[in-house]
Amino acid sequence: MTFFLQQCLIGLTNGALVAMVALGYTMVYGIIRLINFAHGDLIMLGACLALTLVSALGMAGWTGAATWLGVALLVLLCGLFCGGLNVAVDRIVYRPLRTAPKLAPLVSAIGVSFIFMNVGLFWLGPADRSFPELLPARNLLAGEGLQFTAKDLLVIVVVVPLMIALSVLVKSTRLGKAMRAVSQDPTAAALVGIDVDRVIAATFFVGGFLGGAASVIYGLYINTIGFQMGFQNGLYAFTAAVLGGIGSIPGAVVGGVVIGLVRALSSAYVGERWTGAIVFAILIVILVFRPEGLLGRGTKEKV
Amino acid sequence: MPMKARTWAAWLVVGMAVAAGCRPADPTLVKIVSSLPRTGSAKQQSDTIVRGIRMAIEEAGGRVGPFRIEYLDLDDSTAAAGQWTSEAEAANARRALQDPDVMAYIGTFNSGAAKVSMPILNLGDLLMVSPANTAVGLTKPGLGAPGEPEVYRPTGRFNYVRVVPADDLQGPLSADWAKQRGVKKVYILDDNEVYGKGIADLFDERCRELGIEVVGHDSIDAKAQEFKSLMASVKAAHPDLVYFGGTTQTKGGQLAKDMASAGIGALFMVPDGCREQVFIDSAGAANLEGRCFVTFGGLPPEKLTGKGQAFVERYQKKFGELPEAYAVYGYEATCVALQAIREVGAKDRRAITDRALAIRGFDGALGRWGFDANGDTTMRTLTVSVVKGGKFEFEEILDAAEEAAAP
Amino acid sequence: MTTSPSPDVLTDATTASPRDRLLAFVRERWDLVALVALAVAPLVVPALGGALGGQVTTLFVYCILALGLNVMVGYTGLVHLGIAAFFGIGAYLFAILTVPMYPFQMRFVTAAAVSALATAGIGLALGAPTLRLRGDYLAIVTLGFGEVVKVTLRNLEQITGGMKGLNPVPPPGAGLKIGGTDLGLAFAIDPRWFYYLALLTLAGVVVAMRRLENSRLGRAWVAVREDELAAEAMGVSATRVKLSAFAMSSAVAGLAGCLYAASLSTTADPNAYDFNRSIMVLCAVILGGLGSIPGTLLGVALLVGFDTVLAPWADSAIQQWNINPSGSSLLSFSGWRLAIFGLALILVMRYRPEGLVPSRRMAAELHEAHA
Repeated sequence: MTFFLQQCLIGLTNGALVAMVALGYTMVYGIIRLINFAHGDLIMLGACLALTLVSALGMAGWTGAATWLGVALLVLLCGLFCGGLNVAVDRIVYRPLRTAPKLAPLVSAIGVSFIFMNVGLFWLGPADRSFPELLPARNLLAGEGLQFTAKDLLVIVVVVPLMIALSVLVKSTRLGKAMRAVSQDPTAAALVGIDVDRVIAATFFVGGFLGGAASVIYGLYINTIGFQMGFQNGLYAFTAAVLGGIGSIPGAVVGGVVIGLVRALSSAYVGERWTGAIVFAILIVILVFRPEGLLGRGTKEKV
Repeated sequence: MPMKARTWAAWLVVGMAVAAGCRPADPTLVKIVSSLPRTGSAKQQSDTIVRGIRMAIEEAGGRVGPFRIEYLDLDDSTAAAGQWTSEAEAANARRALQDPDVMAYIGTFNSGAAKVSMPILNLGDLLMVSPANTAVGLTKPGLGAPGEPEVYRPTGRFNYVRVVPADDLQGPLSADWAKQRGVKKVYILDDNEVYGKGIADLFDERCRELGIEVVGHDSIDAKAQEFKSLMASVKAAHPDLVYFGGTTQTKGGQLAKDMASAGIGALFMVPDGCREQVFIDSAGAANLEGRCFVTFGGLPPEKLTGKGQAFVERYQKKFGELPEAYAVYGYEATCVALQAIREVGAKDRRAITDRALAIRGFDGALGRWGFDANGDTTMRTLTVSVVKGGKFEFEEILDAAEEAAAP
Repeated sequence: MTTSPSPDVLTDATTASPRDRLLAFVRERWDLVALVALAVAPLVVPALGGALGGQVTTLFVYCILALGLNVMVGYTGLVHLGIAAFFGIGAYLFAILTVPMYPFQMRFVTAAAVSALATAGIGLALGAPTLRLRGDYLAIVTLGFGEVVKVTLRNLEQITGGMKGLNPVPPPGAGLKIGGTDLGLAFAIDPRWFYYLALLTLAGVVVAMRRLENSRLGRAWVAVREDELAAEAMGVSATRVKLSAFAMSSAVAGLAGCLYAASLSTTADPNAYDFNRSIMVLCAVILGGLGSIPGTLLGVALLVGFDTVLAPWADSAIQQWNINPSGSSLLSFSGWRLAIFGLALILVMRYRPEGLVPSRRMAAELHEAHA
């Protein structure tokens, strides 16, 4: 039983991280129907910046409250960096393609992802790099059984508030309303006076900010970064977004958690080597029975 | 069909842009090529090997017998894959085979890649010297898959030698060491690759013979980012030792990290694929301190004597750092090839290959050794190092002689 | 390869100078010109007898694969992110039917036909339950299937050899004697044999694709792409049409896989059939021009050619000229490979979003849309 709970705990924590990345996919998809292939690599660049900052500030020597404040600063800086970069890419690459055939932005996104990878290659070098362990590895839970360290806690304390903030943003602010309007019908939104390009830029910023925050958490939680990390991260996060119903914000969260749990439990009960296959097999089965994903609404049909 | 001048022009480009690279043989020139993963995550390892090769050629004055040496450093990985690919390796082998000046092929790094190039080079009797392949099936009949190693020799003749001891030494001897250390329960992991899985299986087999309980054996996905769930399973099995058959590139470092953060106190043992500074860096020195043991065929750079010691000193002077474990193998492989070419004194691939296969009592940087009938090195020493203070520290030398005596 | 010349070319040709007429002929029959040029090339370019011959053969194989993908993405408008899985299934099935470890040991042609058909069957099995998924959901299913196949190939060691792959795959005609020499050995030694085999297969696939384009089925594919509801209303069964596209696409990809395994003499390891490969081929099809055969071929020549022919060549050139003695990755070509690649994709999409050589239909539509 303890073993099962431990695996669930790991799955939840991992899932929260996946969900945070998935949000970036789902928001951009929701608003311009683009699978932003570069999102995973954007996060990789965020992690590069985080590592550079950690070594520049000498954060490995900080303790106690200073560490936590430092982490908050990192989250903010990397969030701004990734958000800004995302907006810039949208402005330069995707915006001129708004009326192009559907697959043109997709291929451009793949192109951006390659460029990001190349930047990461020069930034980090070809080998994986170790991200310093800033947080104590002490078990926070009493007793022998379950293991839950400050790192795991960090994932939760960053991810949950950010997600709440995001849903408040989308549900109750003017910007959020505009986002939803653009998502439903960009032309109609423009007609009622919404600056569509600005709303799209804001969406890219928010998605990128979450990605940047996720990159810091990733570095602190996984402790290894490398120029190829974006791909695998992106794959799982994108899968989570689709699983939950792409375009749906709660869907991305649910999808992320489901993926985290499936990975943990299949590693524990089937074998580590099959996890990749099981995650995607479950994805296919779920989509066969719920074609719009777990929480997705039916897509509009073009007639 | 729409007719765009560009279309057929492109077709013609594909067909014709190819004229490069074809010139007649040069009677005063001998080319040596190496085929190693030069992009992607194994680059740092291959960098040190290439340095070793270049040093061997420089020390020969860039000449061998009557010939000038030209060295070509080929890449068997692609940017898209980030690691070696069969296509790139096959292309390198064909390129070497086709160029009449190429007399030796130093490579490969990955055992899987050797399985691609070996049969190709075999057709032209081109000498292939590997500084790093350790999979048993490449040379040893009966130990690999059925049909190995004959399937890699379509002509039936030999053309492959390696200067590094194969895994039939390392895997079982590691198990013997664990037994001697008092290990009762072991959890085995591997990266599912030719090298990693091969060595882990040999380790597994020997553990069972010795009566060490194998409480789990699983393969990881080397592309996975973390192994926290896996480590929870490992922890629940309470092993004394976790063995990982794999390399730094296949997540050896990450495993050590996740092992530490899961609170597993067991020893951690890895084979030579992890014996590089990058492994310690990627795992975090603190996570390995005193508990991580690394085996390695032959002697580590700091224990080399004679020519080996001289090599290490020269290397240090030139590059300002201690060579990685494989650098000396790159150097030795090149020395072997050069000696064979020098002794034959003609650009005759078959003669050079035969000459290399016949090398016995070679006095090189690795000590005194030779090739056996399979083209394997006769060197049978294995070193165990332990990670201390972020460095590999020599622990002990295991000699296969004792093991060979036991059934 | 019969296409009736369009009227404007005819008038051009009758009034123009011989030079223009020649140009017009080349434009009109680019396929024939290219085929002849490629068929003659090995006789005049000695490099094709070496490593380059192997590389160009691989290019042909990718051309076939991309033409298969084009059926799904180009004609039928279904985004497919897992074509490499079918490529891999074809390669492994072919290997199982031919390698000495298994009892089948079929001849090349039989084995290729059987594995292409079986790959089509697997395509149908995946397609049938998932066809009601729309757009990007179908895309993600194909992606997921690709991952499942890769992991399965890696883990079913008893059947697939795991990361070792199946090795060695015998060359076509092994054991067949022609004029005293073993045909298989000829294939193994001189890459030009495979070059011609792949070129011939590619030409065959191009002819077949052309026939399909103008057949009832080909038109039904396009009808479903353009407007599924309208197509259904006209009595076209969208499900059947999509399934046939799935099957055709898989069969062609499987055929490409057979050639790939045979020419490499190994199935390579399962990582050779991962998502990266699918994406690369998809980019090639889109870059060249969806639904356009010359576009697809050009896309492959540029993208795959860049990675497998140009980049290694440029790297060794830099080395030979000794531009980069310190071995810095900033000064090597492969250090910049990804960025060049990415930039090319972005620029083409920016200035020619319909692809380099758009199909006539696509071009007409875009034109219409802008008018």
